[in-house]
Amino acid sequence: MSSLLATMHLATGAMAVDQGALEVTANNVANVNTPSYSREVPVLEESTPVVLGNLTYGTGVKLGEVHSIRDAILQLRIQQETGQQGQLNAFVSAMNQAQTLFAAGTGDIGSQISNLFSSIAQLSTNPVSISLRQGVLTAASNLASSFNHIASNLSAQRSSLDLNVAQSVQQVNTLAQQIAGLNGQIAALENIGRDASTFVDQRDDLINQLSALIDVSEIKSDSGITLTTSNGTALVTDTRSYSLEMQADAAGVQHIISQGSDITSTINSGTLAGLIQVRDQTLPGLLNRLDTLAAGLATAFNRANASGFDLNGNAGGDFFSPPSAAVAGAAANMAVAITDPALIAASSDGSAGSTGNLANFSAIQNQTVIAGATPTDYYANLVFNVGNDVSNGTAELQSAQLVLQELQDQRGSISGVSLDEEAANMVQYQRAYDSMARVVTSINQMLETVIDMGTT
Amino acid sequence: MSSIRVNPYVLSDLLADLNTTQRQADTASLQMATGSRINKPSDDPAGAAEMVGNAAQTARADSFLRSIGSINGLLQAADSTLGSVVTALQRAISLGVEGANGTLSDSDRADVAAELSGIQQQLMSLANASYQGEFVFAGTETVQPFIADATSPSGVTYQGNTTTNTVQIGENYALQVNVPGSQIFTGPSGNVFQSITDLINALQTNNNIGGAVTEVSNAFTYVTGQRVFYGNAINQLQAQHNVINTDKLNLATAANSISATDMAQAATAFSQAEIALNAELAGISRISQVSLFDYLK
Repeated sequence: MSSLLATMHLATGAMAVDQGALEVTANNVANVNTPSYSREVPVLEESTPVVLGNLTYGTGVKLGEVHSIRDAILQLRIQQETGQQGQLNAFVSAMNQAQTLFAAGTGDIGSQISNLFSSIAQLSTNPVSISLRQGVLTAASNLASSFNHIASNLSAQRSSLDLNVAQSVQQVNTLAQQIAGLNGQIAALENIGRDASTFVDQRDDLINQLSALIDVSEIKSDSGITLTTSNGTALVTDTRSYSLEMQADAAGVQHIISQGSDITSTINSGTLAGLIQVRDQTLPGLLNRLDTLAAGLATAFNRANASGFDLNGNAGGDFFSPPSAAVAGAAANMAVAITDPALIAASSDGSAGSTGNLANFSAIQNQTVIAGATPTDYYANLVFNVGNDVSNGTAELQSAQLVLQELQDQRGSISGVSLDEEAANMVQYQRAYDSMARVVTSINQMLETVIDMGTT
Repeated sequence: MSSIRVNPYVLSDLLADLNTTQRQADTASLQMATGSRINKPSDDPAGAAEMVGNAAQTARADSFLRSIGSINGLLQAADSTLGSVVTALQRAISLGVEGANGTLSDSDRADVAAELSGIQQQLMSLANASYQGEFVFAGTETVQPFIADATSPSGVTYQGNTTTNTVQIGENYALQVNVPGSQIFTGPSGNVFQSITDLINALQTNNNIGGAVTEVSNAFTYVTGQRVFYGNAINQLQAQHNVINTDKLNLATAANSISATDMAQAATAFSQAEIALNAELAGISRISQVSLFDYLK
């Protein structure tokens, strides 16, 4: 049979366990607002029973471990979705800036093209009027400035995206260093069988932040985790981190170099992917189409002007400065070549009052002079593409946000601290503690009875 | 106990909803303020592209209307000038008929011839009429079209050319806006200056005055015929003015259906968003920070 003292021991042990469990509850409540904190639960286990003769006595309870509740697969999905969101976010916010340049208004390229053709139509009602001729030159130079303005804006945006890329790379490097450091601390604790969940929570948080910047694959090993980008470039192996470096190419665009190889175009998720997509593909694509439009218009106008005679009866020269053989830069450098209004070649036969050649100018608006499209159609298509990019990106971003929200909810339902639950646990542990204390009191009285047995 | 655990952190969801609702309210109020539901290309990419085409067509319609306004003045001026020419020729004919009367003395006929010389000069000035500083009957030249020339049988020489100008007053609709002076005043079947000169000569020599009057009368008929061109052109301008105004109305209707804010809808969306916003705010403020802890004594 068991002894009173053994029972006393069992009771005080159980009280210690309840106290420990209460401590876990307190810690959970304390961290209720800590981001990426995973709630912990005390794992209570029966102590090894004692067998005396044909009876088996329980020896109470022990605190097996304090266990963090987390779902590794869910964590991984959150990382992926965070990366997706980071990429879309960068894309949409950059393109939102770009698309304002193509919003309909009084100064957009579409209206400027219309203004130029209107001014030519006006000139056809009185071809010798210098003020109407000046009107044509003003409209043409407004159109050229619109092209210049938009092209330089898009280029400036590319440069500022370049800065953003550099900043994001710096953040990636800092995060990789911190994660490598945490890897070391986690390994050190786990090697001696201790709970490292605090550091694991922190590391999850940092990996999440890293995923928002760049695509991250996670490989678990015995001594920690290895993080690589999706094409296998290592960012962190155990306690070592590898810095990404920046290198400007001939055009001054920053490339991302990892251990000697250029990984710029392989990054496919996170803010960096979005920034690089806009910087290296979307904006250059837009600029290229603007250049095509500017070069096509300039060439068509020059051809029209050359086919007639100016106010002085001379054959017409270039209307716009001729675009160089390469289309690149046509929008940025577009300029009106003539300053003397008399040099507009309105006449088809050299007589000053003829408007015959103006029909050649007016006809441009119906000719498929820009890559198989009329100027207005080509510009309309450009506007459609810009708008479509942003609108698709925004829709994808919204759905990515919903998915992420849902995943966060799931994570919350698994790992989040519920105050109700913790309060119930607290009551439960407190009651158990109280009961055990009552047991101790009873045994104490019983012991007193035993001691008194000798004296009376 | 195996009930499904719920996410205890409700605030982040609510804040995300709040954000969405706020955006809906902003969009609706912007649409109401601008009157357009396409305020940037991404609002409706296809609609934005259609609006580019619509704006270009509207601008062309406007420019046709402006052209119509501008050349209307020119055509009216030419028409009324030719009206004066016709009147002058009528007077010349009646003077010629008067001069053909055999009872007139030589000095009477000389008086008639002198008056005809005045008419000749008036005709000269009419043929050199200008509108806004430009000669109306010089073809596409900018020089004075008719000058007196004693070496010419008709007494004048035409310095303009025979080119005509056209002005676009509609898609694929180019209206001829001038007739060269040579065609109007010195046509083969009716030469204004030649006929008056011949009549003056006939009166002075009292020879074949009737034939000369017939010649002037031919010129009268011919110029009247030429004047019809301007009358027609003015009619076409007016007709085209109406056509383009109808086009503009259609374009505006199309633009409206592409991009105009449906005010009722936007207002409803706005007030719905506002109601949702209030409800969400009230909800957030009430989500109690109450937990079981508050009930433990």
